[in-house]
Amino acid sequence: MESILKVSDLNKSYGNFSLSNVSFSLPEGCITGFIGVNGAGKTTTLRTILELTNRTSGHIEFFGLDMQSHEQEIKNRIGVVLDDGHFYEELSLAEMKSIIAPAYTSWCEQDFKNYLERFSLNPKQKINTLSKGMKMKYALALALSHKAELLIMDEPTSGLDPLIRSQLLTILTDYMNSGGKGVFFSTHITSDLDKIADMLIMIDNGHIVFQEEKDTLLDYYRIVKGDVRYLNAETRKLFLSTTETAFGFSGVTKKISEVQRLIPDVVVERPTIEDIMLGSIEGGKK
Amino acid sequence: MLIHLVRKDFLIVKKYVLLMLAVCVFIPPFMMWRIDDATYVGSMSFILAAIFSVFLLLRYVSFKENQYAKASTLLCATPYPRKLLVLSKYVFGLLIYGACCLIFWAETLLFPVLGGFHIELSAVMFLVVALFLGIYLPVQYKLGYETTKFASFIIIMASPFIVPQLLKMQGGANWYPLIALSPSILSAGAILIGVIVLAVSAGISVKMYCKADLS
Repeated sequence: MESILKVSDLNKSYGNFSLSNVSFSLPEGCITGFIGVNGAGKTTTLRTILELTNRTSGHIEFFGLDMQSHEQEIKNRIGVVLDDGHFYEELSLAEMKSIIAPAYTSWCEQDFKNYLERFSLNPKQKINTLSKGMKMKYALALALSHKAELLIMDEPTSGLDPLIRSQLLTILTDYMNSGGKGVFFSTHITSDLDKIADMLIMIDNGHIVFQEEKDTLLDYYRIVKGDVRYLNAETRKLFLSTTETAFGFSGVTKKISEVQRLIPDVVVERPTIEDIMLGSIEGGKK
Repeated sequence: MLIHLVRKDFLIVKKYVLLMLAVCVFIPPFMMWRIDDATYVGSMSFILAAIFSVFLLLRYVSFKENQYAKASTLLCATPYPRKLLVLSKYVFGLLIYGACCLIFWAETLLFPVLGGFHIELSAVMFLVVALFLGIYLPVQYKLGYETTKFASFIIIMASPFIVPQLLKMQGGANWYPLIALSPSILSAGAILIGVIVLAVSAGISVKMYCKADLS
């Protein structure tokens, strides 16, 4: 598969926070989740790759084109949804659209109308009267009405109720089915990714922890539950993280066969993405 | 693309644009009514209308941009180049000035007491507007809206003390070479200097905004 986005050795410093040698790539045809806790560097990474903040060093390529020298051409081919709208809130939906639309060479008014209809949005309505969920849908309508090949979203599901989150996931699936080349979205609500993501990239404290296909990742990691007396210096090393109570322990591991050899009497479960994320963060702190 | 960004500036302050147009229209008749000496009514009302309109509308645009600061981040995530976002502010200011000229010209036709519409006066005012835009916009890109607002407040408060000093200095200055110039050369000079000021200022503002980390 070809990469539609390739980030190499990206560095960016902000006071006491920095992105350190962030490298990853997005294969074509995938919905990629960018996960990490709040403050891990998700938004900074997205803003830096979109040239909204200046990088200290690094190389960014979209569709095989260098971002620095083809910025306008690349931005014409991607749709962007930023967290919390980013609109002139006193304008109506139609007025805000009239500002955004001329920026794109392939803006399709019919697509925009169809999205508004699908989301039950009135073009004459003022943006500041929309709920958070409706604003997100409006942002999606703007981002998807110019035949975008790649959709980049920053925390689109944050603060939304389960129904709207579920609708959003359907919209993303439809977008991919109708010819979208990729979706890249950051989130800390990992349950959304369980449903639709093909690929996961995790960032923590400005460092990429892993980039892996979701199914491989879920096959690779296991949650192990057992008696706490089996935990010793040797067995503890097999876990990314463990939690212990008087009744037993629970740990995330990617060395399940070794764990089963050394601790025979354990319960093994498939983890969720959240288990893997939390395990990796706690493991990284050891 | 530039025209759409200028249109955006008009859209976000549309209520104030109508208000300022009304102010521009009513200042000359109001001054005719209030001032008995008709000699300077025309030029004074034009100067006042132009200064009020350009300064206040640009302030309103900056206020709205500051209120919805994240909206410009979204615009920068679209194919709009940052350079054009900056240039649109200059064009916006100049269009407002152009509108003031048109309104005043129309009023001189309606009210002959205002005197004619002199190209020299509009050229000198163009230089004043260019100097204002040329200083105000880069300072705002460098220091941000709040600090610039504070600085302009200080300047306005200090102006009763500064202006007499400037007038004293002007008393000592030799303006004869300028007065001796033909009006057309004076106008052309004012326009040329204004254009140079705007070009240098826009270059500085673009450079600063392109380096800025957006929120």
